[in-house]
Amino acid sequence: MNQFLLQTTYWVPLYGLLGAILTLPWSIGLLQRSGPRPAAYFNLFMTSLGLLHGFFAFVQTLNLEAQEVLWHWLTVADLDFTFAIKLSSVSVGAMELVTLLSLLAQVYALGYLEKDWALARFFALMGFFEAALGGIAISDSLFLTYALLEMLTLSTYLLVGFWYAQSLVVTAARDAFLTKRVGDVLLLMGVLSLSVLAGSLNFPDLYVWTETASLSPTVATLLGLALIAGPTGKCAQFPLHLWLDEAMEGPSPASILRNSIVVSAGAYVLIKLQPILIVSPVASATLVGLGTVTAIGASLVSIAQIDLKRALAHSTSAYLGLVFIAVGFQWSGFALLILFAHGISKALLFMSAGGVTLNTNSQDLTEMGGLGRKMPASMLAFVIGGAGLIGLLPLGGFWAMREGLSSFWYEHQWVTGVIVLVNGLTAINLVRVFRLVFLGSPHAKARRAPEVPWLMAVPMVSLAVITVLLPLMMQRLSLLPGWTYLNQEAVAVLVISGLVGCAIGAGLKLNRSGDTGFYPVPKAFRNLLAYDFYVDQLYRFTVVAAVSAAAKASAWFDRYIVDGVVNLVGFASLMAGEGLRYSISGQSQFYLLTILISVGAIGVFLTWSLW
Amino acid sequence: MLTPTTEYPLNAYIQRLLQGQALLPDTPNNLLEVVGILKSYGVVLDAYSTNLVYVADHQFLVLFPFFKYFNGDVSLKKLGRHLWHDRINFEYAEYCMKTMLWHGGGGLDHYLDSAEFVALAEKAMQAKTKGNWLVQGLNLLSSEFLLEQVRQLAYYSALGQFWRVMSDIFLTLSDAYDQGKITTIPQVVDYIQAGLVAAANQPITYAVTLDQQIYDLIPQSAGLTFLPDTAIPYVESVFFRGTPFLGTVSYNAQAHEISADQASFQYGALYADPIPVGGAGIPPTLLMQDMRHFLPDYLHQFYQKTQRGESDLRVKICQSFQKSMFCVTTAAIVGLAPHPLNTQDPQEQLANQHYLEGWLDRLATSELSTVQWTELDLAAS
Amino acid sequence: MLSLLIWIPILTAILVCLCPPQHVAGPRNLSLVAIGLTFGITMLLVFQFDPISILPQFAESHAWIDRLGLTYRLSLDGLSLPLVALNALLTWVAVYCTRLDVPRPRLYFCLLLIINAGVTGAFLAHNLLLFFIFYEVELIPLYLLIAIWGGSRRGYAATKFLIYTAISGILILGAFLALAWLTGVSSFNYDLLQHQHLPLTQQALIMGALLVGFGIKIPLVPFHTWLPDAHVEASTPISVLLAGVLLKLGTYGLLRFGLGLLPDAWALFAPWLATWAVISVIYGSCTAIAQKDMKKMVAYSSIGHMGFILLACAANTPLSLLGAVFQMVSHGLISGLLFVLVGVVYSKTGSRDLEVLRGLLNPERGLPLIGTLMIWGVMASAGMPGMIGFISEFIVFRGSFPIFPTQTLLCMVGTGLTSVYFLLLVNKVFFGRLQVPIPAQMPSSLFVLPTVEWRDRAPALLLAILIVVFGLQPHWVLRWSESSTTALISSPALVAEVDKPTAPILPRVPAI
Repeated sequence: MNQFLLQTTYWVPLYGLLGAILTLPWSIGLLQRSGPRPAAYFNLFMTSLGLLHGFFAFVQTLNLEAQEVLWHWLTVADLDFTFAIKLSSVSVGAMELVTLLSLLAQVYALGYLEKDWALARFFALMGFFEAALGGIAISDSLFLTYALLEMLTLSTYLLVGFWYAQSLVVTAARDAFLTKRVGDVLLLMGVLSLSVLAGSLNFPDLYVWTETASLSPTVATLLGLALIAGPTGKCAQFPLHLWLDEAMEGPSPASILRNSIVVSAGAYVLIKLQPILIVSPVASATLVGLGTVTAIGASLVSIAQIDLKRALAHSTSAYLGLVFIAVGFQWSGFALLILFAHGISKALLFMSAGGVTLNTNSQDLTEMGGLGRKMPASMLAFVIGGAGLIGLLPLGGFWAMREGLSSFWYEHQWVTGVIVLVNGLTAINLVRVFRLVFLGSPHAKARRAPEVPWLMAVPMVSLAVITVLLPLMMQRLSLLPGWTYLNQEAVAVLVISGLVGCAIGAGLKLNRSGDTGFYPVPKAFRNLLAYDFYVDQLYRFTVVAAVSAAAKASAWFDRYIVDGVVNLVGFASLMAGEGLRYSISGQSQFYLLTILISVGAIGVFLTWSLW
Repeated sequence: MLTPTTEYPLNAYIQRLLQGQALLPDTPNNLLEVVGILKSYGVVLDAYSTNLVYVADHQFLVLFPFFKYFNGDVSLKKLGRHLWHDRINFEYAEYCMKTMLWHGGGGLDHYLDSAEFVALAEKAMQAKTKGNWLVQGLNLLSSEFLLEQVRQLAYYSALGQFWRVMSDIFLTLSDAYDQGKITTIPQVVDYIQAGLVAAANQPITYAVTLDQQIYDLIPQSAGLTFLPDTAIPYVESVFFRGTPFLGTVSYNAQAHEISADQASFQYGALYADPIPVGGAGIPPTLLMQDMRHFLPDYLHQFYQKTQRGESDLRVKICQSFQKSMFCVTTAAIVGLAPHPLNTQDPQEQLANQHYLEGWLDRLATSELSTVQWTELDLAAS
Repeated sequence: MLSLLIWIPILTAILVCLCPPQHVAGPRNLSLVAIGLTFGITMLLVFQFDPISILPQFAESHAWIDRLGLTYRLSLDGLSLPLVALNALLTWVAVYCTRLDVPRPRLYFCLLLIINAGVTGAFLAHNLLLFFIFYEVELIPLYLLIAIWGGSRRGYAATKFLIYTAISGILILGAFLALAWLTGVSSFNYDLLQHQHLPLTQQALIMGALLVGFGIKIPLVPFHTWLPDAHVEASTPISVLLAGVLLKLGTYGLLRFGLGLLPDAWALFAPWLATWAVISVIYGSCTAIAQKDMKKMVAYSSIGHMGFILLACAANTPLSLLGAVFQMVSHGLISGLLFVLVGVVYSKTGSRDLEVLRGLLNPERGLPLIGTLMIWGVMASAGMPGMIGFISEFIVFRGSFPIFPTQTLLCMVGTGLTSVYFLLLVNKVFFGRLQVPIPAQMPSSLFVLPTVEWRDRAPALLLAILIVVFGLQPHWVLRWSESSTTALISSPALVAEVDKPTAPILPRVPAI
């Protein structure tokens, strides 16, 4: 029985998909007289089922060697698509985490979106989302992973575009899709090259191939860069990071997943790709470079945000930047720990933020204040989530960053500086946000703010408990070092950076008006950060302008040169004048013309062969 | 009759009001739509009102109110229908309640901040949370945690009482129409106005029973009454201000689509665009959905005659609903006028003119110009 | 058996003409039954078809005009089988989504049926002259369908189409005649010509004519300008047929006659063809971005996506050719779906303008299901995994990459550009607040679009489902073609050529 449950682990993502399909009668409007909530219940049920199934499978994996399930999909010509699914404690555990967070987000959504008549569509998309994410967790085939990443792109597009009648949602959905798509197409180029070079797209085969591969440096570099492009888009890393900020237009329950496990899915794929990336030192260096730029840049940018969700979202990019650095230096353990700790804590922070938004009808940090007196659960969730994110108290973030500091303590020491800086800046940001939202005197919009209803509170509190218990889980999974191995200097540096960050955050003079952050620095610099280094403008004047110029040029060329020449030659234009207007006689003339030409040609041939 | 001294752009509407007409043109189709929709609205409000009062009285500080929409009658059949979502969308009533709570205004809002209320609420809270260490702990952490919940419950009760009156007005209006007593839009307005005036001084009170002990939360001595403390704040919060719909307005702080000043909000029922109804992020869809089940036959047949018949029913319901709300608004405007609108005194006429211009200024950006039309009338012309 | 596929539609066409005029629904129903019947027969053939065999199956041969070398010779192989099935399916869809009140129904359906017969005949013909006759047979009815039932500039568009395609026909005929003349064979039978071998120069000359001839039909840049005009003016069913099936005649012809009969010239031209494919893909995609008319955008996207097929043909590996056939099916279904949907939008809103239409996803007053299907369709076109467009393009790219890595990668940019223009389309037309062209002085909230019936949605739903089914189970399409496409590479002439050490035929795998 248990073996059966393990072997059928791939059903778990399919449960989500099935849930999505079950919502169809409501989401496409076949059932008009009754409401859409049964669709949500179906999805909750399927996800719970998946969680249960996955749990039994996970327990199995703890005692067993990793297993590989192969599935022949398609064999054509010299191409063999055999998908591999890996059942190890890490992959099944990741799938469980996905399913768990999805379940919590879905319960939360039932409360958050109780007034939304498009609930069925939302849950359909969540089921789809969950299926793609869960699939990525257990997939051991680059082809399958690529396909699932694309499904993720699609569902992100549709989830961000959930409120499609809202103008900023429209642009946000578009940008999310196109940015990720740029990464995906580059990744596809990499996948395709690998498929040709290595002959198989299953990760174990690729790893074997990498050991003996001899590629020219150019090809290796291009391949490596193509492979990291996909995760760069998914993880919202510079320069493909803009979409995450805009994606905050989407519903909060989706933001919970997006900022925790969707970005992590990209990083997870990157970690799986890491053994292949060895072929290209340039790609690894690029990873480190992008990661560093994003980690520091996004941390700074997040401090200057006045939008609650965006202040948290930019910090997501920053943490994923640390993952990029870790993968670039082949420290996968550090990368996984960061993903694990960040995913859970960030989800919790977003749950708290969603309730605040719902209560104040605002996301503007300058319009809040004093909510701590009225919303204890949300406040606690924020505090625990924040504490779980930064390296100060011995929660997830602390242990993850400690791992990072230990890893880079003797080699590439500058990275420890980056980690400490990100830790400090994140602490500043979180304390700043906490003060603006929960402390002080309330703005008019935050004057009446009863705590969120139980459908939102229950998942929030559950996740808070999980966040607190995370170190215990890490210990059970042997992810934590013994006390004797603890690098005490590193711990001290970490705690001090967290403390200093909190202190600065607590001491910052808060400005409850205006567009930018709360910096004791010149306004131009604050604006630079508040508007994300104006990268969107940069895009507008480079990539967007180039594509649109190319499009206009080719359309002009098409119309006036290619077609113009055709018309000029006169055949068409001459005929199009008088003779071509539709009339019975006109028709037959042309009928005759063609027949004559054709028959004439045949006639010529005929006489020829007679000779 | 005073000739208008100013070239006020919306003077046509003012003239109409002064002549005893409504903001909505008096046409047979409009009358049918307004009365028909108010009939179904009355039925829905009756359900909303009952439930709001039930929640306030019987779900007092219940942490997990699983069955708050059941009105105390939990049966397997009802649970089945509830799970199938074949029910009234009480979420909309709560949405209106929260909107009122959030915007505040009126005596109730003021009273909820008074020391008198805090003291009364404290007693009830202690009685309810006795022995519940978790909730008490949370309340220690956040001193107004429970108090804020009780304030919300007070609004549950107040809105329930307000809607009880409105529901009765609309349902008796429909009966009068069925009996042929109502034949014009101004008669509809008069009927509603009379109903409001009759209930104006009805007291708003709230008390809960815990362990057979009655805890007063809004005693009669607080002096809260129907018109100033529920009706006017309700019109202000729900008809005029409302809250931005997630489906049409961006909450992005840097985009500044939402004003920082709640008083300048224009998202209420009189302003809302009916076209997106039925879509994502449009809470009034719930109300339209509820009303579709109780449409009188004549109105349903009227809708069937339009271009899309059944398939854009909720948008049409919303459009009729807006028409009817302009009739209610007319009743409120006329009722609150400083002087009778048919006065002959030039001073009073001038005061009335200013008063009406003030209202129409607010209504300038509303759907007022759209409700002057009807799809079928347009199709016929 | 194969003759039935051609003669059932033709006999029905005659029947339709004889239909009494008061029978308004008669022609349509007759056509539906006839095409349904041919589709049924096609399915029967599919299940009797031996996918392993590389020989032409169900062959029929009757002498016709021996002096001309014209034989009535039909047969089916893995290359033509999917296309014949696609033709029957899309013709049925085209008949089904024709307006119920189409003027002159008898002539209209008669012409549609003749097109169906002509296209099927062209796919089945195993005689070059017979192919040409069928190729021409389809031309005149299509001209008339655009010229009579088209939009405001139908005269111009129809004539442009006619002239372009007539030139295409003349070039192809010329090439065929030259082929027979130069080889000195007195028959146009395909299998006979397949065993002939011409010097490279002569092959190249004939190849040039074929490339332009079929290039017009595919269409390849710069011979494409008839296509957007024809699509814009043609009514929806005609667009479905044009994009879904008729363009495939071009790529089919190239594969069958270019690659099949002139392998040396093909090998010589291949790098240029691959580059030509890149130009077509990028040019078509870029031009599509700038379009304001939904139909034109879909038309230009066709130019881009047909370029993939040329790339695959140029690469000429077993995998890429299989990809080419699959891409033909995939493009047929996807562009068919897109044109059906654009047609519904146009018939309900009276506009296809990207600057005018907004928010059609609106659940009550818009076209929500049509919008959903449109998202479905554009995602399929943009190569979303799980749909047929992804796997067909992947096979094309995977097959072409070893031969033409640079060109393949550049073509992949085209799939990225596809998502750009189609996302613009969805975002503009379907997202946002509902906005449609309305009569002057009418409040926008009171203008109501006509109801979308299930019969408007049904054909789109059918195609959308097929797109996913074949996307998840590509084997159901691929298995019929694999042997034939592999055989195409090792065609007798090529095998003969391999022995000669001088000829640069076998694809060179570049050292990467």
